[in-house]
Amino acid sequence: MQLEKKIKVVNRLGLHARPAALLVQTTNRFNSEITIRKDDMEINAKSIMGIMMLAAGYGSTLVIRVSGNDADTAMKAVQELFVRKFDEDDEGEE
Amino acid sequence: MEKNLKVSELFNTQKENFKLRLFTQEHTLQSEIINNEVSRPGLVLCGFTKLFAYDRTLIFGETEIVYLENLTEEELKNNIEIMCSFDIPCMVISKGLEPPKMLIEVANRCGHPILGTTLGTQKFHRLLASYLEQYFAPQTFIHGTLADVYGVGLLYTGPSGIGKSECVLDLVERGHRLVCDDVVQIIRPRENILVGMMNPKLSYHMEIRGLGIIDICRLFGIRAVRAQKSIEMVVQLTRWQDDLEFERTGLSDRTTKILDVELPLVQLPLVPGKNITVISEVIAMNYLLKQGGYHTAKEFNRRLLEEMDQKHYIDGLSE
Repeated sequence: MQLEKKIKVVNRLGLHARPAALLVQTTNRFNSEITIRKDDMEINAKSIMGIMMLAAGYGSTLVIRVSGNDADTAMKAVQELFVRKFDEDDEGEE
Repeated sequence: MEKNLKVSELFNTQKENFKLRLFTQEHTLQSEIINNEVSRPGLVLCGFTKLFAYDRTLIFGETEIVYLENLTEEELKNNIEIMCSFDIPCMVISKGLEPPKMLIEVANRCGHPILGTTLGTQKFHRLLASYLEQYFAPQTFIHGTLADVYGVGLLYTGPSGIGKSECVLDLVERGHRLVCDDVVQIIRPRENILVGMMNPKLSYHMEIRGLGIIDICRLFGIRAVRAQKSIEMVVQLTRWQDDLEFERTGLSDRTTKILDVELPLVQLPLVPGKNITVISEVIAMNYLLKQGGYHTAKEFNRRLLEEMDQKHYIDGLSE
């Protein structure tokens, strides 16, 4: 199964180290291949360095692509993280 | 991804290198070069526009300029108008020559930039062609790690978490060099040549599970890193599976393709306790041996066959 969804970064600080770590912890739980694209760059969503390299700031749009037998649940889990703002409040700590 | 080169970028970044000046007005620099082709205007100057490859950068040398100077005013105007009615991305006058005033006027009106260079026509042609080739080189990003082992560029691929970074960390510790971890930008500057580059955003950082982010350059010094490296081989790390067949003799050379370039491929099964680092060094050294004309597996087999006195079979083997 292959899924593709557009997601907006809505936490103030963007995908910095902490959300990136949270993201890879999530993606690594699944067998599916998961990639994230920003502009013309596509990276493996299971690698933290790749995610941080995107430097996806607040408001940027990402394309998440998931393919594999657990694609459905994987996509839901990833989406939820973004919606939850990676558990960061809007003021932003650190 | 398609990307075009704004003439303003060419002009501003290569002004010194190519000894450039601008004849037309500033606004013409907004024009875009869309491919790496460079050519001379040729018969277009006579008004013959069939087969005119107008999407290329045009270089005017002494021949072209002298020809234009020898035209009557009327012919000159006519021919230039015809040429400039095409969407020419950029014109360059070499050898420090001056283009006819009429050409500048018409180019300004049509929005075609005219640059000048003091370099000779052939020299400038070569420089510009190689610059454009590099700029328009096909590129891709690959999830993997690139290292220089004894001068051989080894690109490690394989699923996340299999130990690519750890392997290269070990290699660095043994005096080899890291180019890029995780997201390797690869370009094909020439046919059959792939170059992997350090990613400026990541520089020489890598993630080691359990440790977090480390900086290889800070930890091991400048000798442990290099900014770019041609890629000679792909080492694919895979999890051990009982039913997967791995190369046992090294007689058949497996290959894989990146950007249409064929590269030798080594598939390495991983089991706990296996020393990938030493194997990596051997892969590199074996590659160097093969480059030098010595193919260990074939040589070994040749001797074996000799021993068994099957001379006719050997002749069939060594084409």
